[in-house]
Amino acid sequence: MKFIKNIKSKNLRALVIIFISILIIVAGIFNSALSGAGNLSSFGYSLISTVCPLGALEAMMAANTIIPRALLSLGVVVLLMVLVGRAFCAWVCPVPLLQRWFPGYKGKKDHPDNQQKTLDLPQSDSKPAGSGSRGYRIMRSIGFDSRYVVLAGALVSTAAFGFPVFCLVCPVGLVFATIFTIFRLFAFGELTVTLLAFPLILILELVVFRKWCTKICPLGALISLIASVNRFFRINWDKSKCLEVTEGTLCSLCHKACSRENVDPRGKVLATNDLNSCTKCRECVDACPSKAISFPFLPKHKEK
Amino acid sequence: MTFLKKTDTRSEEQTQTTGLTRRGFALGCGSAAALLALGGTVKVVGSEALCRPPGGQDEDAFIAACIRCDKCLQICPTNVLVPAPLEKGLLNARTPTFNFKLGWCDYCKESHAGVPQCAKVCPTEALKLPEGAKPENVIMGKAYIVKEWCLAWRLKNCRICVDECPYDAIEFNNDGFPVVLLDKCNGCGLCENVCISMISTKIVNNATDRAITVKPTMTVDYLLAKESRSGGRS
Repeated sequence: MKFIKNIKSKNLRALVIIFISILIIVAGIFNSALSGAGNLSSFGYSLISTVCPLGALEAMMAANTIIPRALLSLGVVVLLMVLVGRAFCAWVCPVPLLQRWFPGYKGKKDHPDNQQKTLDLPQSDSKPAGSGSRGYRIMRSIGFDSRYVVLAGALVSTAAFGFPVFCLVCPVGLVFATIFTIFRLFAFGELTVTLLAFPLILILELVVFRKWCTKICPLGALISLIASVNRFFRINWDKSKCLEVTEGTLCSLCHKACSRENVDPRGKVLATNDLNSCTKCRECVDACPSKAISFPFLPKHKEK
Repeated sequence: MTFLKKTDTRSEEQTQTTGLTRRGFALGCGSAAALLALGGTVKVVGSEALCRPPGGQDEDAFIAACIRCDKCLQICPTNVLVPAPLEKGLLNARTPTFNFKLGWCDYCKESHAGVPQCAKVCPTEALKLPEGAKPENVIMGKAYIVKEWCLAWRLKNCRICVDECPYDAIEFNNDGFPVVLLDKCNGCGLCENVCISMISTKIVNNATDRAITVKPTMTVDYLLAKESRSGGRS
């Protein structure tokens, strides 16, 4: 465990993503041992299987029926979300890792959102989840952003044209499709346009839309919605250790570290949208100079 | 006190950064519109008919539910199922179809006692066998013979597909040439798999495929109609 704790979260995440991807690829190629494991769209065997929540939802909307097996797999996904919330986006999805490898990746240092963000202790006690009209409050409580507009577009398009539209361009699907196409080129000599086209679509999506994950990804939006059921490994801010509370310094390194999702780990009672947005990437844990932030399995008893 | 003041301004800033900005809204709407356009274009352009694995015979229901998870391709014991390439249309890309050069669909008789594994693992029931489905009534396609490319039609001494067909759907006609009995053929693909034309050499120079191939039923109907028209004229 100590060994794992010494690795930077960024590298640990990369290792986990690579491990899971290799597992899926190996299971797909040596299919006699783990037959029918599937790619990330539905990984597992028979009824004990996950399913892409967006894919399952689209399939049910396009087919205009309730699909019992898809619902069952969705149940598995929701159970996982109770356990780990939106961790998929930081620990499983290969897209952010690929974006890091493409040239022109901007690290968090020169992120435009990275101005000084200081602590708002007085407000955090009294501030309700939102104020203003009811619609606005609901939007605030799920952290409404452009991803939800894309999600709505994907679902409307699916319902209108009768097939899962987003699946055609989903970067997660395209990553594995590209890998398996390359494998089939060598194994069966299948030389197709696919070999060239899929990586091109992928690069277009990930390089042109640098902010794919935070601004566009409808899968991330759906996962964020479901992530409100998360009960374990929730972010915990230990007020008694935080320098801003104990020493009164302007630190806010944890909030700065969370440049992607803009979650402030220092909220006394975390707003729902923070829980939905948090991918448990542990960047804030790494950034904190006084080790005030942790992701305990069970929520720690709230201090008064 | 200055500390408190600072926090006041910051909370204003944060409301702006976490909420939906005008630019974000435009980006979201643009992407949503792109997805609508994609769906519409793909639907209007249409896609090539493909032979589908057992349970995927209702093409509309199949394409509505398939999420391209590869489960059916991976579990197929004969490896005859392959992902359709992009050449078959964006809508078909990555969906399961057959490559009868690699194998044939025995309805999992040999390996799993006649329970097609592809339909069994499909997580979204895109492949779903109707009640009372059996190999004889699950029609995946039909075999079609190109007479000019067929050894038996040219030289009369090849009978491989006639002997191999598990459904006795190919027989010799009165002149001794092999013909497909369309009401018996279910498109299992064994004939295409065993056909010797194009394997080491072409029987005729302009051949682009094996002499007997399995194609979607509607494609075969079209080809046969064309054939009988031109045959009637000459």
